[in-house]
Amino acid sequence: MTSEELEILGESELSLLETLDHVLNLGLVVAGEITISVANIELIFVGLNLLVGSTETVYKILGKRLDNLDQSERSTDISSD
Amino acid sequence: MSTRQIKRRKSESAGVEVAHSFYVYCIGEGDVLAPLFESGLPEAIESEATLELEVNDPLAAIVSAVPRACYTEDKLQERLGDPAWMALRAMRHEKVVEHFAARATLVPLRFGSIYLERQRITNMLAEKRAQLIALLDRVRGREEWGVNILRDRLRLMEAVESVSPRLREVAARAAAASPGEAYLLRKKIDALRADEAGAEVKRVIALIESELKSASDGALRLRVLKEETAGQGDVVAKLAFLVPRARFAGFRAIAERLAEEHGQRGFQLEFTGPWPAYNFTFGEL
Repeated sequence: MTSEELEILGESELSLLETLDHVLNLGLVVAGEITISVANIELIFVGLNLLVGSTETVYKILGKRLDNLDQSERSTDISSD
Repeated sequence: MSTRQIKRRKSESAGVEVAHSFYVYCIGEGDVLAPLFESGLPEAIESEATLELEVNDPLAAIVSAVPRACYTEDKLQERLGDPAWMALRAMRHEKVVEHFAARATLVPLRFGSIYLERQRITNMLAEKRAQLIALLDRVRGREEWGVNILRDRLRLMEAVESVSPRLREVAARAAAASPGEAYLLRKKIDALRADEAGAEVKRVIALIESELKSASDGALRLRVLKEETAGQGDVVAKLAFLVPRARFAGFRAIAERLAEEHGQRGFQLEFTGPWPAYNFTFGEL
């Protein structure tokens, strides 16, 4: 793991989650609203699947980090309803 | 010698010649952004590249080269399964946008705006000039703030019970009823309590939204992911506000009062920001 990766994992949980939320558009995209405009291969806009993928991504990242920090307690928070 | 052979020779002699696409971070005004390139810049999304400015007067985009083969739609979809890769790029993206947003008015783009040719970026700046200028005016002097509303289920249930006359009435009847009847009444209490708690959540969200909206220049409700939970409870709403820097103190005062008022009754407010105005520019282009 590079030092930059370690630094990112050192971000607070809220800060990391919120950054991913803003940058990856976790929060806004609704199925069906996204156009992937590859007409003439001009602009590749990654949206719809990113939403599905990134939800898992975030929880994988958080899960991994939380495992490192505090085994049982906090991971339960994430998986519980 | 055919063109193809010439090209191959050229790339062989360069050794590391790779085809590139161009990743776009954000768009602003050229005359404001250009001087910022005279001092230190943050790292690009792929660290071997440097940030560049693509100008189409009066607008300009902050861009950097990315290896074309790694930034295709298919490859990026694959990358979504690689959390460390994604988190690192998302953070680099954000750091670039934040660096410029702190010094200039910007339309921030989300992760994944990639052009195969630089010229296309220039064309886009020309084609969307009017919309981009309008968006820059919309966000000028303003920042995005996020408000997450979390619910502590147990505390909310207690709060609901203490204020609901219907619940108290049914509870009193249950206490005095026969065992069979009490069982049915308890079922009724559970249903009533869930109803009232749901109504209370809606009411509180609407109240917080309207109070903070009055202290800002725009409000949005964002999507809440079902599994989004935090230590303090479930996220029941995510709101975004476009707040003028000059009015931030007022916005903050209201936010703190709301957090205190509703904190005692099972709600927690989380504030995040300032963000580049992602949610107020996305979807407008």
